[in-house]
Amino acid sequence: MEERTLRWCSPLALSLVMVLAGAPVSIASAEPLEAAVKATFLYKFIAFVAWPPGAFATADSPFRLCVEGPDPFGDLLDRAVAGQSAGGRPIQLMRRPQFEKGSGCHLLYGTLAMDRLRGEPVLTVSDADAPGGSAAGAVITFVLQEDRVRFAIDAAAAQGNRLAISSKLMSLSVRP
Amino acid sequence: MTDLAGFWRHTPRLTLLAMAVLLIAGGLMAVASETAYREEKVGDVEVQTRILAITTTAALSFNDRPTAGEYLTALSASPEFEAAGIYDAGGTLFAAYTAPGMKPVPPMAEPPGHHFDDDTLTVNVPVMQDGHRIGSVSLRTELEPFARRAERYVGMALLLAMTLLIVLVLGAAQAALTRANHDLAERARDLSAANRALNAEIAERERVEAALRQSQKMEAMGQLTGGIAHDFNNLLQALSSCLQLVGRRAKEPSIQPLLETGQQAIDRGAKLVQQLMAFARRQTLRPEPMDVRDRLLGMADLLTRAIRADITLETQVEPGLWPVEVDPTQFELAILNLAVNARDAMPEGGRLRITARNRPVDGAGGDLVQVTVSDTGTGMEAEVKARVFEPFFTTKEVGKGSGLGLAQVYGFTRQSSGRVEIDSAPGQGTAVSLFLPRTVKPVAAPAKERSLDTARGAGRRLLLVEDDPIVGSMVAAALDEMGYAVLRAGNAEEALVLLSDRALLIDILFSDVVMPGAMNGIDLAHTARRLRPGLPVVLTTGYSEDIARTEGVRVLPKPYRVRELAELLEAALGAGVRVR
Ligand SMILES: Nc1ncnc2c1ncn2[C@@H]1O[C@H](COP(=O)(O)OP(=O)(O)OP(=O)(O)O)[C@@H](O)[C@H]1O
Ligand SMILES: [Mg+2]
Repeated sequence: MEERTLRWCSPLALSLVMVLAGAPVSIASAEPLEAAVKATFLYKFIAFVAWPPGAFATADSPFRLCVEGPDPFGDLLDRAVAGQSAGGRPIQLMRRPQFEKGSGCHLLYGTLAMDRLRGEPVLTVSDADAPGGSAAGAVITFVLQEDRVRFAIDAAAAQGNRLAISSKLMSLSVRP
Repeated sequence: MTDLAGFWRHTPRLTLLAMAVLLIAGGLMAVASETAYREEKVGDVEVQTRILAITTTAALSFNDRPTAGEYLTALSASPEFEAAGIYDAGGTLFAAYTAPGMKPVPPMAEPPGHHFDDDTLTVNVPVMQDGHRIGSVSLRTELEPFARRAERYVGMALLLAMTLLIVLVLGAAQAALTRANHDLAERARDLSAANRALNAEIAERERVEAALRQSQKMEAMGQLTGGIAHDFNNLLQALSSCLQLVGRRAKEPSIQPLLETGQQAIDRGAKLVQQLMAFARRQTLRPEPMDVRDRLLGMADLLTRAIRADITLETQVEPGLWPVEVDPTQFELAILNLAVNARDAMPEGGRLRITARNRPVDGAGGDLVQVTVSDTGTGMEAEVKARVFEPFFTTKEVGKGSGLGLAQVYGFTRQSSGRVEIDSAPGQGTAVSLFLPRTVKPVAAPAKERSLDTARGAGRRLLLVEDDPIVGSMVAAALDEMGYAVLRAGNAEEALVLLSDRALLIDILFSDVVMPGAMNGIDLAHTARRLRPGLPVVLTTGYSEDIARTEGVRVLPKPYRVRELAELLEAALGAGVRVR
């Protein structure tokens, strides 16, 4: 039933997800919900981050949201970005086992170590329980706190990737 | 002074006006201040709410309630914030803050905007993210309590109270002043009224005193004049009779013109004496009810002859004029005297007007008839006006005026129980008014003229009573000439002896009034008519006395012409019932 609702109307789905996320959830239902929350978060990060001028080829170049390795979101991410834009740019989803430097990603979610992309203007997002862990070197790392999806922001990594992260977002960062 | 008073009179009104302006200004200022305060407050709180909204975007986006809660809790630093809430896109409360003891924000979001509820201001601002509304923020602050705000207006209220007090004090003072002024004005009015009354009284008293002095003077003059005139009259009478007897005896024809001249002189003297007597009110009046209109109209010819051609005569008589009881001859003489005076006062010609009108009773006294003779002549100076009634007072040159005209007018009206008034000023003409008492007696139709016959006395026996032997013999001689058989008596007592004698035939009694002895002519007349009812009696006198009203008695004023005596005796014999 929830699935269907989400399919019908994504903003409503989003809010519903948020409401649900606010409520204490059982472990059993944690897995798919956690993915859904992370998917929306990925999209929402865009509004609070500023990319260096060279990050986009042209004024209307699409925003590349890349998922590396195994995709935990399925079509949740597609639905989260459907009809949305990133500061006027269309959002382009790319899924690959691995992205290297110069692959043109602006936001990259992956569980591999992110050190290889240091210096690239890419907002790297990883999971705390990923093989690389919090040491993977991602700019933002999802963490679970009290059954809620939170995130920690590595200001140095962001600076290394020449990204400017809004203080508003920074204020939400949990201690890694 | 007056300006200042005027200003002060208006002061309470001005102050009231000023107070009203102050009140309105104060009210407007309070309202403006209140509005400004609220607007400022709304602006302040809106800014704070917007900041909060902007700050909460990330927390809302990432569903971070604790952080959102922290943001809100930060508001507790300022005590003015009572409650705040962050709502998600669905309007559900996402995070809330409530100051201790305050009402929490509503569970559902309110539409954007602001609203005041007693002493609180609530501002709702949407939380936007990339042009999307992702929620809203509500912030409620307490306003400065009304009491505190009102305190700011206390100064103004104090000012108003002061103004009110000033107005009240001023008003009271003004009222007191007005009342005092009013009282003062009233007292001044009373005082001036009393003063006027006093002045009027003084003037009236002076006038009365002057009138009294004048009348006393006139009275004294009258007595003096009357005494001389009486003696003079008798002398003239004797002279006249004497001349007539001389005339009958003297056969020399050349003596007749001389006698005529002598008689003329006696006539003139007699006239003068008559006028003097008139002034002294001692003349014999024969008052009868008389119509003034008839008399005036009858005089028209005489008047026209008396005045000149360059003087127009106007006569105005009120219709329904009341009759008066006066001696018609004396009345005519008075009018003639006045007309002649008017003529003399108008040497350049002018208008002579004679008017007569009714003067109904006014206060004391009775109804009067006013006869006024007015002219457009020279008028009189006050000094002249004061003396004109005196006998022999004249301003005319010797031979032109004797100064007896107005004296006659005066004497006649006074004797007729009336009065005279003169209205005159130099250059303004003169009006002399006679006020004569109205009579209720009917006016008799004018008696027919009798044909005169001097020989009528033939065979009649006449008893002549005269104390003055000269006068007595003269009159007896004249009566003898007329054909009367004359019986003579020197006084009333002698006459009574003859009258008592039943055997003695007496057709008529002719007696002087003033005689030495206990009885005078009037007493004699009464007794004679008692002794011999119906006996015709003729009295003669230079004085008026009250004989005029004695029944069946005729009076012949001295001096008289023989012809007048004959006519009167004739009339008496004709009217009387003869008892032999
Ligand atoms: N109508 C008049 N206008 C102006 N003065 C007058 C008038 N009537 C009388 N007088 C003044 O009063 C005076 C007295 O008047 P009154 O008639 O007594 O005497 P007379 O006119 O002088 O003399 P008489 O009348 O005896 O001939 C006059 O000499 C005159 O100065
Ligand atoms: Mg005269």
